[in-house]
Amino acid sequence: MSLDAAVPAVDLDGIDLSDRDFWLRPPAERHAVFDLLRRQQPFAFFAEPDIPMLETGPGYYAVTRHADLDAISSQPAIFCSGQGAVSITDMPADLNEFYGSLISMDDPRHAKIRRIVSKAFTPRVLERLVGSVQEIVDDVLEQARRTAQAGDGTLDVVADIAAPIPLRVICDMMGVPDEDRDLVLAQSNIVLSGGDPELIENQDDPLTAFLEAGMALAGVMERLAAERVERPREDLTTALVTTEVDGEQLSHQEIASFFILLLVAGNETTRNAISQGVLALSEHPEQRARWAADPSLNRTAVEEIVRWTSPITWMRRTATQDGELNGQRFTAGDKFLLFYAAANRDPAVFRDPHVLDLGRDANPHFGFGAHGPHFCLGAHLARREIAVTFRELFERLPDLEVTGPPDRLRSSFVNGLKRLPARLTGAR
Amino acid sequence: MSRVVVDRDRCVGSGSCEALAPSVFEVDDDGVLALLRPEPADDELPDVRDAVQACPTRALTLAD
Repeated sequence: MSLDAAVPAVDLDGIDLSDRDFWLRPPAERHAVFDLLRRQQPFAFFAEPDIPMLETGPGYYAVTRHADLDAISSQPAIFCSGQGAVSITDMPADLNEFYGSLISMDDPRHAKIRRIVSKAFTPRVLERLVGSVQEIVDDVLEQARRTAQAGDGTLDVVADIAAPIPLRVICDMMGVPDEDRDLVLAQSNIVLSGGDPELIENQDDPLTAFLEAGMALAGVMERLAAERVERPREDLTTALVTTEVDGEQLSHQEIASFFILLLVAGNETTRNAISQGVLALSEHPEQRARWAADPSLNRTAVEEIVRWTSPITWMRRTATQDGELNGQRFTAGDKFLLFYAAANRDPAVFRDPHVLDLGRDANPHFGFGAHGPHFCLGAHLARREIAVTFRELFERLPDLEVTGPPDRLRSSFVNGLKRLPARLTGAR
Repeated sequence: MSRVVVDRDRCVGSGSCEALAPSVFEVDDDGVLALLRPEPADDELPDVRDAVQACPTRALTLAD
């Protein structure tokens, strides 16, 4: 039985999805709101959050039903990404391109570039990476045990386990040297901070902090790209600097933007699937025991962890024309936020949606995005990282015990944990 | 005999199909989807149906 099944009493009066503090509420409360929206106002309209120095737009529809979300996502010509997929507020075009890269791009350009990079993320290429994911996970978990044992037995699931695994995997794929990795982690945290005050000191000017973080990441990439042009290696950066699209090479800016996307997307998402997965298993010990005892559950368990945690809460689409969708009229320029986290608990699709069931078989969740050309490029990689991490957690840190509530990231976009306190009961 | 059909304009080589039915689908080193067995065996059909369902760009169909 899941604690989350006990739905807190909420009503929609005073609910504002643009209020950043809404996203600090416990997941059960947020899901209770999504349940109401899905039933009562499946296209609820919200005013946009104010961001200093940017013009506040007209508002957006919050899409919470699985079917509506899929219909929008799978019609990219009508609901485009090119006006910004990762920000509610319209950003200046150059910023949009710089931070969004493929995510905020439409076909035909999107399809061309996607084909280049997708080569690096196919199941077969990843098969060759299995060894390295396994090695990285083994190493990180042994280090986490040493850290706990060297102190009072405590550790932070985020800093000691969930963050370093995807960071090392994606940096290995890109060929980022060890000495740059702390910088990569810190700057990617700022890019996806959602303005969380712990990460953005100057709350009056979050844009400058975003820009500086992006420039720092771009700086690492420019240097790496130049090195790979001189001395090619077996890494993704080399593929990016040497591949041509229809006889045309990616520009330095396109490569830098894509690098930022991969680092940020590859780090923040898997990290939160792992950290919130650990939290979910500690809240559902019977599910943890079930998975630990049965490796054949890996496939369904990983999907259920992704459905349950929905690390990316939403992406945006913008209508390119007037029309109607499942009874909702819209006009060109209207913004839609696709709330994957809400669709992933839609009772029209998922039986007992608020029950964590690691054996859930039919699980057409949108944790990697809904149908459409922007489906998560790194889905296979993420699945691999999550499966290996949990198997090794059961094996190497069976005495891991969550000891307190997490610190949540104040972000509507990333369902993130900043810290999750834990201890190894066998360390002392 | 059921036959797999790929819409090449839609396929982006995500490899979701290969993850579910590796005996039938394979994204090659150029990122292009190859059909290893365009007419899957009966015992492969459940996985192939999952793969068709899971294709993020709805590029796959199973024709009878």
